[in-house]
Amino acid sequence: MNDARMVKRPEPPDLRILEEAAEWLMQLSEGACNEDCDAFERWGQRSPAHAVAWARAHSLLNKLGCLPPALAMPALDRTSKARRRAVIVRLAATLALAPAGWATWRAIDAQQWSADYRTAVGQQRVLRLADGSGVTLNTASAVDVHFSAAQRVIRLRAGEILVETAHEKAATYRPFSVRTPQGRMDALGTRFCVRHDGDTTHLVVLDGAVRITPANTRAAAGQVLHAGQKVAFMADAIDKVGMADQDVIAWTSGMLVADKMRLDDFATELARYRSGIVQVDPAVARIGVSGAFPIGDTDRALAMLAATYAVDVRTRLRGRWISLVARSGAGTKNS
Amino acid sequence: MAITERAQHHEISTLYSNHHGWLHGWLCKKIGNAFDAADLAQDTFMRILGARDLASIHEPRAYLTTVAKGLVINWYQRQALERSYLEALASLPEQQAPSPEQRLMILETLHEIDAMLDALPPKVRTVFLLSQINGLKYDEIAAQMAISSITVKRYMKQAFLHCLVFHE
Repeated sequence: MNDARMVKRPEPPDLRILEEAAEWLMQLSEGACNEDCDAFERWGQRSPAHAVAWARAHSLLNKLGCLPPALAMPALDRTSKARRRAVIVRLAATLALAPAGWATWRAIDAQQWSADYRTAVGQQRVLRLADGSGVTLNTASAVDVHFSAAQRVIRLRAGEILVETAHEKAATYRPFSVRTPQGRMDALGTRFCVRHDGDTTHLVVLDGAVRITPANTRAAAGQVLHAGQKVAFMADAIDKVGMADQDVIAWTSGMLVADKMRLDDFATELARYRSGIVQVDPAVARIGVSGAFPIGDTDRALAMLAATYAVDVRTRLRGRWISLVARSGAGTKNS
Repeated sequence: MAITERAQHHEISTLYSNHHGWLHGWLCKKIGNAFDAADLAQDTFMRILGARDLASIHEPRAYLTTVAKGLVINWYQRQALERSYLEALASLPEQQAPSPEQRLMILETLHEIDAMLDALPPKVRTVFLLSQINGLKYDEIAAQMAISSITVKRYMKQAFLHCLVFHE
């Protein structure tokens, strides 16, 4: 394979095709239905040049869609200062939305792109490793796998994994560990779930036991976690141990299980499985959500939410920008 | 090849040693800040590194200020954007404020979009932002800007085309 050929940039699409794409974007920005989006998607498949234009349009919308309006509008709008003030005031009144979906900013961590295995947003993947161990990657996750004669190491670079270690078949036992920037977790024959989120690692042990050694502590300061326990830890400290239930791995069967989960937390969870932003109006942020929601079809999950609670789902930018707001006409008091 | 490169290198060195101090002073007066002026002076010389025929420039200082002026305008725009951004950040309730690294990423995206929209006429730019950032509908924008819906759509298409050409 010729590397230079592989990275060769595609020809810039011709202006006529870009004009067509601009016409599509103009139409789609004014409340598009699914059929419109599908039609645009088909348009993008007509030729390689169409595909380039489509990809550009897509990435442009992504970029615009990721900007929080309350910050972007005052910064970008160059009209007069007085007007700018008025815009801020109006924004503060009408768009005081919690940025739950800003988690997507973290998901675009450049580190992920060089990882051995990764999943895109909304994707899951099961790896079967050389020793027979299984690693299931949840949405927007990335791992490196380093197996040597002396040890088995999984480096979790982003997202969440479920690990099921196999009995070591090699003649000499090789320790199995998962590493995150916050420290290492040594498996003691086991099934466990690790989530790496910002400066924190969350560990849930389902079977067996796992020893935690935070990165900035001496090995002796480690702690053993047993089945049914969960804990969060940072590079220099381990949080209080809590009780875990099977709900935390509901994602492996395609579900998000909530038990009186605050709506804003729920939105943050759901946002992990779709690209774009999910915002929550503070007026409804404290609603307690319960139920099992499909993460493979987040549109349906949102529809279920709207069917059960006094929450309206507002969709913009082809579903890339979701706002959860109090149902119009309904009070904000909810339980 | 090597000879022309060496010759150019020599010209740049001469230009630099003869005029760098003066340019820095000129920039200081323009923007009132020695620190950024030093950066901009450096950027100015970086910018002309690739220029051909440096030897044929008769008025080196006029040439340098022409290049530097463009960079100063750019610098002012970036400053204005950053100031507005910081103001907007300060007006957000604390629990809605993004983390430091998110702030930086948002700022970078804002700079990128600002540069992308730079060449658009102000009205087109505002229409585009009202739609894409604030999520207003076209007829709402038409009412707010006191223009027709058809004009809004024309502006939107113009802005999208511009972005698609510019954005890769």
